[in-house]
Amino acid sequence: MTDGGARREARSFNSATTAGPVRRSDAGTISRSSRASGGAPLHPSPLRGGAFPRKVGRGGGFAGALLLTGLIATLSPAFAKPLRVVSLNLCADELALRLADPGVVKSVTWLSQDPRSANMATEAAALPANDGHVEEALAYRPDLVLVGPFADPASIALLRQVGAPVAEVGAPQTFDGVRRQIRDLAAALGEPERGERLVADMDARLARVAIDPSRSRLKAVVLRPNGFTVGPGSLVDEILARAGLDNLAARLDIAADDQVPLETVALLGADILILDRDEASAPSLADAILDHPAIAALAQRMTVVSLPARLWTCGGPEVAEAVERLAAAAAAATQ
Amino acid sequence: MSARAQVAEIGYAPLVAALAALALVAALASVAVGYARLDVSAALADAFAGRPTAAAVVLEQIRLPRAALGAMVGFSLGLAGAALQGLLRNPLADPGVIGVSGGAALGAVVVFYSGLAGAFALAMPLGGVAGAIAAALLLYALVGRGAGTMTLILAGVTVNSFAGALTALALNLSPNPYAAYEIMFWLMGSLADRSLPQLWLALPLTVAGWALLIASAPALDALTLGEDTAASLGFDLGRLRAQLVAGAALAVGAAVAVTGAIGFVGLVAPHLLRPLVGNRPGRLLLVSGLGGAIILLVADVVVRLIPVHPELKLGVATALIGAPLLYGLIDRMRREA
Repeated sequence: MTDGGARREARSFNSATTAGPVRRSDAGTISRSSRASGGAPLHPSPLRGGAFPRKVGRGGGFAGALLLTGLIATLSPAFAKPLRVVSLNLCADELALRLADPGVVKSVTWLSQDPRSANMATEAAALPANDGHVEEALAYRPDLVLVGPFADPASIALLRQVGAPVAEVGAPQTFDGVRRQIRDLAAALGEPERGERLVADMDARLARVAIDPSRSRLKAVVLRPNGFTVGPGSLVDEILARAGLDNLAARLDIAADDQVPLETVALLGADILILDRDEASAPSLADAILDHPAIAALAQRMTVVSLPARLWTCGGPEVAEAVERLAAAAAAATQ
Repeated sequence: MSARAQVAEIGYAPLVAALAALALVAALASVAVGYARLDVSAALADAFAGRPTAAAVVLEQIRLPRAALGAMVGFSLGLAGAALQGLLRNPLADPGVIGVSGGAALGAVVVFYSGLAGAFALAMPLGGVAGAIAAALLLYALVGRGAGTMTLILAGVTVNSFAGALTALALNLSPNPYAAYEIMFWLMGSLADRSLPQLWLALPLTVAGWALLIASAPALDALTLGEDTAASLGFDLGRLRAQLVAGAALAVGAAVAVTGAIGFVGLVAPHLLRPLVGNRPGRLLLVSGLGGAIILLVADVVVRLIPVHPELKLGVATALIGAPLLYGLIDRMRREA
């Protein structure tokens, strides 16, 4: 999970961020579970192929609506669309808003409503916001609750206990993981065609990014709030590679996401410094490092590019735009 | 007394010169020590030649401001500690212990996270100064003159925890998701990633505070004879109090606005150096400031050498030295009482 992601979740999941920035979850994992899967592990294993057997309906004592939905689902997969979806995670918010029918998503996190940091802010602003708490989700009597990769296991257990089906959105670390995640969530929402279309659009945009193979690849380094950079084996590393950039962080002995001192960044000898920065965000020390005068001084020697966090925090289809922007910056820098 | 004999041997001017030399060495060590391999002499040559190489940028924009800020903040804390101890005639009066640093951190936090800091350049240091003054006034209202050690410490605990709680509240009210996680910086302090403009903004206020504090030396010496005697010698105690509170607030407030609250420096420096100046609070001021600068610079070198990730906060390092000392001081006072 990227630092940016951890940051976004920071407010909506009180315990979620304490897991630290480096916990990497299986690429594009979405798992669905319900009360019926009672004794299953808190972090359900990934279900491949995008098909989610719905097990709702065994065992009684939960809301009639849920029972009904579950029975319908069991009897006829064609009617398996959940109709009352609540999302407790920014990344899940955006994917659900892209994939589900209007009106199906009942509530999204408050983070999704800020156009500075979210991709689907207009759509999200029309919905009631939540702070990522289970009790908020239950108030909507949901037939599907979407949670993020750092959701509190106790919250998931609680949702299961009351019989609310849960789908866990992961933090994909590869483009394949992004595709799989879109397809899996589309299946969970009963919209597999929309999922395929979203993946195809993303792939078409990626295919249009032309990298001149004769040109030498520029050396890049990423600086995120709090002085984090991005190492090999991460989604951002793949975004850089697709944009024709060599990630210099590979030379440092660091994990996929790790803090690096500013002076190390300055002395790495990068051609391009990529800042993960949202314009006009409220002040914080974490973001202040991106405005350090040393970076302004370095701008005389290298290209400094700002990339808004919303394009590469979640592994959603918007990563194609991140690749486009970086490729354009690289082309401009080599001219 | 052996302390007095030592003073006779060392002398005030050589002591000041020796401490200043030590502070300079510590500052040079702070420039030389860092995370990346930096050829300091080559960087220096580039900087003087005006070549904007990466090495010159690191030296000018990262290493030098860090060392200079360490010296400035350490001097402020050591000096303010010595001055407050002289005023309150209490060896436990440290800007951190009595809540002045905590108040300054609160003032800076309110200004920074509300976005006021962008309104005008001096807003941050002035916010720190305002918070420090508020804490000092609150403390004075609780303690009054001639209060016992117990009252002072309890009042300090009250002011400190109140300021800390309000700081947490202010951070939680910020719409930036990172803000709530930045309380460690404000409560423990750090010199990491501070910048040259921050130094230039804080320096004028800090130096004004130093001047007010150091100018109070004769009055502090007279105060050791008792308030009535000092008054009969022509010292206006009300004015002295105002001068010291303003001086400490300017020096500590502007410093804390840049680095966060760093504890124990104002406690340790005067305590270690007091015997060397014959227990004269007036002479202790400059000496204790230099001692504070040395302590903070060394602590800042240490936190960069310890392979802990992310970097240890400075207040952690100073507390490791300072807390046992504070404990010992309280224990000694208890046994003497």
